[in-house]
Amino acid sequence: MSVLELNGVSKVYGDGPAEVRALHEVSLTVDEGELVAVMGPSGSGKSTLLTIAGTLEAPSAGEVVIAGAAVTGMSRNDRARLRRRSIGYVFQNFNLLAGLTAAENVALPLELDGVPAKVAREAGVQALEELGLRERSGSFPDELSGGERQRVAIARAVVGDRRLLLADEPSGALDSANGEAVMRLIRTACRRGVAGVVVTHDAQLASWADRVVFLRDGRVVDQTAPAAGPESLIAPGR
Amino acid sequence: MSVRYALLALLSEGPKYGHQLRQEFEARTGEVWPLNVGQVYTTLQRLERGGLVESDGDEEGPQKGFRITEDGEAALAAWLHTPPDLSSPPRDELVIKILIAVQVRDVDVHEVLQTHRRYLVQLMQEWTRLKEHAGDRDLGFALAVDAELFRLDAVVRWLDAADGRIKRARLDRLEPADGHLPKSPRKALVRP
Amino acid sequence: MTVLTSDRPAEVKGRAGGGAPARRAVVRWGWRLFRREWRRHLLIISMLALAVAATIVGLGTATNAAKLSADPEFGTAATILSLRGSGPQLSDDLEAIRARVGAIDVVAHQEVAVPGSVSTIDLRDQRPGGTFNGVTLRLDSGRYPTGPGEVALSEGASKLLNIKVGGMWTANGQAWHVVGTVENPLNLQERFALVAPGHVVPAATVSVFTDWHPVPGDGLQLPSRAALHIISRGHPSTAAVDALVLALGTLGLLFVGLMAVAGFTVMAQRRHRALGMLAAVGATDRHVRLVLLADGAVVGGVGALAGAVVGLAAWFAFVPALSSLAGHRIDRSALPWWAVGAMLLLATLTAVGAAWWPARAIARTSVVAALSGRPSPPQPAHRFAAAGTLLLAGGLVLLFLSRPGSEHPRAPMIVTGTLAIPVGLLFLAPLSIRLLAAAGRHTGVAVRLALRDLVRYQARSGAALGSVTLAVGIAAAIAVSAAASDAPQPVGNLPTDQLMVHLSPNREAEQAPPLSGDQLQAVTTGLQQIASDIGARSVVPLEQAYSPQAGLQPAHAGPRGRTVPAGYATTSLSRITVSGPGIDISTMNPLYVATPSLLAHYGIPASAVDPTADVLSARTDLQGLKIFTPELRGGQASSEPGTASNAPRAPKISSVEPRIQTLSQLPLYTSAPSILLTTGAVQRLGLGTVPAAWLIQAAGPLTDTQIQTATTAASALGLYVENRDEQASLAPLRNWSTAVGVLVALGVLGMTVGLIRSETAGDLRTLAAAGASSTIRRTIAGATSAALALLGAILGTAGAYAALLVWHRSDLSPLHRVPVVNLAVILAGLPLLAWTGGWLLAGREPPALGRPPLE
Repeated sequence: MSVLELNGVSKVYGDGPAEVRALHEVSLTVDEGELVAVMGPSGSGKSTLLTIAGTLEAPSAGEVVIAGAAVTGMSRNDRARLRRRSIGYVFQNFNLLAGLTAAENVALPLELDGVPAKVAREAGVQALEELGLRERSGSFPDELSGGERQRVAIARAVVGDRRLLLADEPSGALDSANGEAVMRLIRTACRRGVAGVVVTHDAQLASWADRVVFLRDGRVVDQTAPAAGPESLIAPGR
Repeated sequence: MSVRYALLALLSEGPKYGHQLRQEFEARTGEVWPLNVGQVYTTLQRLERGGLVESDGDEEGPQKGFRITEDGEAALAAWLHTPPDLSSPPRDELVIKILIAVQVRDVDVHEVLQTHRRYLVQLMQEWTRLKEHAGDRDLGFALAVDAELFRLDAVVRWLDAADGRIKRARLDRLEPADGHLPKSPRKALVRP
Repeated sequence: MTVLTSDRPAEVKGRAGGGAPARRAVVRWGWRLFRREWRRHLLIISMLALAVAATIVGLGTATNAAKLSADPEFGTAATILSLRGSGPQLSDDLEAIRARVGAIDVVAHQEVAVPGSVSTIDLRDQRPGGTFNGVTLRLDSGRYPTGPGEVALSEGASKLLNIKVGGMWTANGQAWHVVGTVENPLNLQERFALVAPGHVVPAATVSVFTDWHPVPGDGLQLPSRAALHIISRGHPSTAAVDALVLALGTLGLLFVGLMAVAGFTVMAQRRHRALGMLAAVGATDRHVRLVLLADGAVVGGVGALAGAVVGLAAWFAFVPALSSLAGHRIDRSALPWWAVGAMLLLATLTAVGAAWWPARAIARTSVVAALSGRPSPPQPAHRFAAAGTLLLAGGLVLLFLSRPGSEHPRAPMIVTGTLAIPVGLLFLAPLSIRLLAAAGRHTGVAVRLALRDLVRYQARSGAALGSVTLAVGIAAAIAVSAAASDAPQPVGNLPTDQLMVHLSPNREAEQAPPLSGDQLQAVTTGLQQIASDIGARSVVPLEQAYSPQAGLQPAHAGPRGRTVPAGYATTSLSRITVSGPGIDISTMNPLYVATPSLLAHYGIPASAVDPTADVLSARTDLQGLKIFTPELRGGQASSEPGTASNAPRAPKISSVEPRIQTLSQLPLYTSAPSILLTTGAVQRLGLGTVPAAWLIQAAGPLTDTQIQTATTAASALGLYVENRDEQASLAPLRNWSTAVGVLVALGVLGMTVGLIRSETAGDLRTLAAAGASSTIRRTIAGATSAALALLGAILGTAGAYAALLVWHRSDLSPLHRVPVVNLAVILAGLPLLAWTGGWLLAGREPPALGRPPLE
């Protein structure tokens, strides 16, 4: 069942001579449990795709459907609710609110949705524990290392009943070991049924996805076929 | 060549039997590097002839025991510290194909590039999947997969760079023809 | 992924807002935000508090300095009737008045000469708690006199006589026991002695206070047919002061509001990201607003409260000083409470509004822009400039139409006009910043960077510039109006370091008693003794001219109970008008002979005096006056026009149109020898000279004790000392206001620049990492603050001048007096000080070079 559907989405910034076409009739479907990577050079429209998928921006044309609901025509409040209930975000930077502890950061979307503080906090601590961060649940973001911060961000992105996980260069500022750990966590989340979209220019990161979509000048130009089984590589003689 | 030193490395841990050597070699380098039985024994014989290992009997076969000599340890250490020869570029088929594609008319280089990129990324996806399934249990395997991934990644990055470079070269070649000269060429020149 | 599916309460599913838990979570984050950024908040709080406190003190001063609760002379009475103080029918007359006008207060007066001084003391029997004049009497210490032989003195009288409570005072041959100190709270300078009712015997005059208002054709007839002098008070006009307070109150409100806006807009930039984050996680617009509103309410409330506490404390501490400056008692509670209350409310509201602004920006643009932390694209400066010009012009027109100086100023126009002018200036800020940046295009990288950042972050630099402009504008307005209103004030009779010793008790007597050689010798020796007793530097003898034909005039009774001794009628510079049979002589200025010693005293070489000149003076208002000398024996010249024209024979006089030479070295004091008759003129007019007075020049301002010593000694010599009259002058108050205004402007500037600097710490870190020396950092900070200060000073001064031109439109002449020093301090000193301050404060290496703070 598809969680995210983009149908013919275009995005134009500015007008007249300053017009910039960031996306041009992009269509993309991400199913439950599927992890899709969007790859492309800088300026190819990757981040715009992600913000539109995350309802942070409205497309100039085309249709966005998330978990069966058409985003076009939703009120700002409805979109905010959709975000805190169904969509988890992991950004390259500025992931956490500085004034809240790790657990509170994780619990924030639940609290914003009306879950009592105590219950939400317990859920937050539990989510952190699953990511091996239980002992850091009381720490403030500036007391955490970069990798830990990103893991807290993932915990926040998947806490509750999230359907869609969106990540923008999630391991951008991290070393490869930490980056791999982050991708493993995203992978695990997808295995549990979350639909994931990772935007990156890094092939190693993209290779964690079930499917890699190539974006160029705002258009989808290609995508990899769903991967074959893991044994295909091990051939005698290599 | 490196099978030789891999066997020496295994023997540096202590005396081992031939069949044991073969199993451990396979285990440590992972399934990435499968060997046949004969290769192990021929290499061992060669090592013995060179005086880098000693055997404990004349009996040929898997039950024969081997131990490393002092010369062998010295040779192993020397090899580990000697960087491989990377100074002369290997003849890369992909590079040649792209170089030719640029020359050929009616061929969209970007499409060629993308085809190769897709292929490479697909390969990488498969390796990543292997790594994911293996988890952190098998260090040697993970290292070997990483090596492969980084190699493929390097090629993808080269493709990305080539993509950009070709695009810029095309634009540069087009611009004068279209008459889009910079309005003030002198000013443009003065800029560092 | 089912971490919490079962725990989600089903009933909140339908709500978009998330209910109370969401609000709690959001407010908790707001509170944490406040705690984390308390230093920056502290800066905003202190900015607000400073603005509120400054406005409270300013409003209190403006309301109370010039405005009295009642007339210092009339009290609450409308009319004062003056009668001769003695006569058998006085009580009948008073009864008749009472029957005619109702309630009255009756006060008997007697003028008491102070030996050795030209001053006199008014002895009166005012009853404490009178119906109308009760407000003009207050007991400071001791008690009110109740019986015969008891008196209470005002502070001035007590000083003049050198008698404290418990002492004895002999006046007009009667001994009085001093039992208390009293004052006229509406005029602290008033010099009088209070005795119990009915104990002024004999009374010279009797004043009757009543709220009766004389109507033309409906006069008062006394049974005794005695002369009755009626003075009525016009309706008190406080309109001008009220208009000023209104304008000031409005400015104060705007100032407070601007400070809040400036503070929050400067901070908003960094918040954008966090708020975008919050929105990305799923907070609704209302949630985002809630955080900021809570933050603004806390900051505004705390700032307003702190400002009120500081302002009221400062006001209470300032009231005694203000009382003595203004010359009347000031009630501590006499603050325009409506304005104070409105200001506190507004401080909170503007802080809330200013805090809410970033949330509005996020709601208006997009979460993505907020997340990226890009400054919102600056609005076109010319559009702002057009709006600003329009507002400025509109404000000036409104102020022009509001008739601020008239009886009925139009309050709404004053408020709107005063608001529109600074807001218009605020709108001109972006353009002026741009112009400055364009002017600084070819400067070094540090200055260029500082200016460009001011342009790029227009929202925050604009608000900062606005508050600096307003602060400077207020300071400039105070300075300019102080200069405008300072000069018309009388310069006083004498400087504080001079004494005049007269031969005649009466300055206006125009009659100089001749002295024999021995007498002159004795007087001169005595004066030398006085001069050495009080440590004076020099004694300059002053001579006056007289006509030898006129001869000695007889002694006669002068005003204020003094007797003018026999002497020569002296020459004066007067206005003489011949009307029918009589001659009116008015505006009599005593003329002193320009003796070489007097000229030397003022540092004027004899060669500087034009030999053809008759009169020397620094004054420029002497046109049309003539040298006037009575020439007829027995004829009596008097300043009373009626007397002159009613005399049986017109006195023979000589009047000469003088040639006046202006010498700026001469003083302007009214009693000092300021108008001199040249020796040449004395010869040409065939006049004689006679010693009339001596000028004692002290080394410094004279103390009460020194004056007392001189007066006692002069009394023994039969001379009369004149010293500076204590006059209430608001001049020091204005100087203080200017200083405080500049200080507040500097404070605002400092805080604003501090705030901007803390916001650009990241840039500085980058620069430091790029190897910029501390000089560059210092230059950037210095240039930022100096640019804001310079623009603020220019805009503020221009705005102030524009507003004052309109305010004073009926008479622009006061504005010709430009307070050059004050304006130079504002226009050049402020930017210089700002540069220095920025330079000094930016020296420290920014902390944590490697690790930028988490956003």
